[in-house]
Amino acid sequence: METDVLIIGGGPAGLNAAFEPASNGMNVTIIDESFSFGGQLRSQTQYFDHLPRPFNRERGTNLSRKLIDRLLPFDVDFLPQHTFVGKYKDGTIGVSHKNEVIPINAKKVIIATGAAEEAIMFPGWTLPGVMTIGAAQILMNRDRVMPGKDAIIVGSNEFAFDVVQQLKDVGANVHGIVESDSQMRLQNSQKIEAFKNLGIPLYVNASITEAQGKGKVEKVFLGRNGEKINLDVDLICIAGGLMSILEPFEIMDCKLVYNQALGGWIPEYDKHFETSNQSTYVAGNAAGITSIGGILTTGELTGVSVMASLGVLKSEEAAERKRDLWHQLYQIEGIQRPDTYHARLAAIKDFNTSKDRTLTK
Amino acid sequence: MKNSYDIAIIGSGAVGSSIAYHLSETKQKDILVIDKGFPLAGTSGSTQAWVWVHPKTPSWYGELNMYSAELYPILEKKIGDVEYRRTGGIAPFFSESDRKDALKLAEAQAEAGINIDVLSRKEVLEKEPALSPNIAGATFSQLDGNVNPFRLVELYIKAAKKNDVTFSFYNRVHDIQKRKDTFTIHTEKGEFAAKQLILAGGPWTKELGNMINITIPVKQVRGQILVTEPLAPLLKHTIGGIRQANNGEILIGYSKEEVGYDRRTDLDVIHDTANMAVQYVPDLAKANVVRCFSGIRVMPEDGLPIIGNLPGLENAFIASMHSGITLSPIVGTLMSELIFDGETSIDIQNYDIQRFEKMKA
Repeated sequence: METDVLIIGGGPAGLNAAFEPASNGMNVTIIDESFSFGGQLRSQTQYFDHLPRPFNRERGTNLSRKLIDRLLPFDVDFLPQHTFVGKYKDGTIGVSHKNEVIPINAKKVIIATGAAEEAIMFPGWTLPGVMTIGAAQILMNRDRVMPGKDAIIVGSNEFAFDVVQQLKDVGANVHGIVESDSQMRLQNSQKIEAFKNLGIPLYVNASITEAQGKGKVEKVFLGRNGEKINLDVDLICIAGGLMSILEPFEIMDCKLVYNQALGGWIPEYDKHFETSNQSTYVAGNAAGITSIGGILTTGELTGVSVMASLGVLKSEEAAERKRDLWHQLYQIEGIQRPDTYHARLAAIKDFNTSKDRTLTK
Repeated sequence: MKNSYDIAIIGSGAVGSSIAYHLSETKQKDILVIDKGFPLAGTSGSTQAWVWVHPKTPSWYGELNMYSAELYPILEKKIGDVEYRRTGGIAPFFSESDRKDALKLAEAQAEAGINIDVLSRKEVLEKEPALSPNIAGATFSQLDGNVNPFRLVELYIKAAKKNDVTFSFYNRVHDIQKRKDTFTIHTEKGEFAAKQLILAGGPWTKELGNMINITIPVKQVRGQILVTEPLAPLLKHTIGGIRQANNGEILIGYSKEEVGYDRRTDLDVIHDTANMAVQYVPDLAKANVVRCFSGIRVMPEDGLPIIGNLPGLENAFIASMHSGITLSPIVGTLMSELIFDGETSIDIQNYDIQRFEKMKA
């Protein structure tokens, strides 16, 4: 199979990366291992703002649909249940689908495989009823299944609070939020206010010491400064944060670098979002954990870079578009998540320095 | 942790940790084992772990393998259950012309006391019904089997620790110097002194040799291995290239590539390996492959082990070989004899590193 641009991962970053090449007449192939496109965004009923043009404040579910719909008029092949499993010696990509491995030759590859949730472990963490916060959200909003009736949440990031609201909306009782730090991690003042109105106890300086139950979670034990608290719950949601998914970059021989502020290990990339492997680009959370606005903007930036490197976009026009997108990224990520934005700039600078050093060697 | 020892062993894989254990049995020496990573992160942890005897030639080398296989049941009594199973080994051939070579092999190995049956198609299929009817025949020996490499190395180390051997992991050796009667080993975690030095770094022994100005004539060879989903018991024997592990997974691997220390897998070899497996065992066409991994093996330039003293450097020894899993019990025993008695119960002249000098001359 031949394609101009292969996009691995059909979440918000991959979908938005596809728009530029597709709307300029390129053949774009988007693969995703799930049976549907949109990634986690497809299950997110919360509202998102601070989005790049042309998007405005929107529920995640609607945004996901819009990202797909605006690609439909163009030459885009959507391949669900297709998994990137390896590479041939000549660089051809191998994608598995049912019993087949399909070789795909692409002029450019964009990896937009996003992030995975990190687990927090405690005795009993493998009992049914213990799941990540993202899994609970998928159960509720995509599969229409109640993940449990009586929940406790471990971790107090913004995502955790969004899902707490959604759990309440479907009629679950949330018995508390457990945070190992001395204060909640959520910083959005509006959301803090909304949370206070829900009257859910916040246990800071606390952690789960054990989950118990016969074949499923029935009881959870918390420890807080030597004090023991036990609660009857059937659902424990873990909000342990996100880390970039790295296997695709390892297969593509991209160099990796550790960057705490961007969520841990990430591929190295330059200001065009090109990795150390020159035909491979990165977008979205795979390029460092950020907000949905950051995910969409880096996606579009990558799409423009690919168009420029294929010579479809004139260099002056590409430069102008990239300047505008970097400015939008500054306005979105630079203000919403300044640490992320500055870490990203520093990482790009470091990568350029090491590239220059290799070139002059 | 003290920094002066009688013996320092570099490398804690199957070979290095077996030597450490066998040397420690008398509890007469202070022994230190240094490894750049954690045991089983390298060659010993990425193998099919056959205990493989019968096709190994010349016959005196086959004999060494046979003695090692014979030691396994005794070893298990001493260090614990390493899941050694003497399944019998089948090496199929596909054409009648191969039968002549098989008969020659059986004749040659008989001189060393290795009993090989040359089986007809019917006899092979009676023994192992899952094999393909396209097979013309096979060589078979009751001596062959397999072992769990993870338990093997872990139990060598556990038993050695019980005998007061010191292990230092995640500790790369940077340099080795010898002054008077003492080796000084410069490592990431400081300097260690030892009266005797044993190099057992597998493929990395080449780098260790460079530190003491001795060229170790070994190559790095990558083997890629496929792992299927756990299947109902299908294969009773260890078959050239394929074996079924205790948990039902089937391990398949034939490839040999010289690509340095690159441990990635690629789809060309994965396809070839899968096709080869189906030719041997047609039912495997229905199995799902869940994982692929590769290991870097050590291959001395003439294929035979390098065991014994290092020339021109008193009290320095080497044990570097392919088939380290099969040979680890005998090599540990021989190295212990060499160090304590200055001679071995089996002549190891054929494995002396100086044979390579003679080859050149």
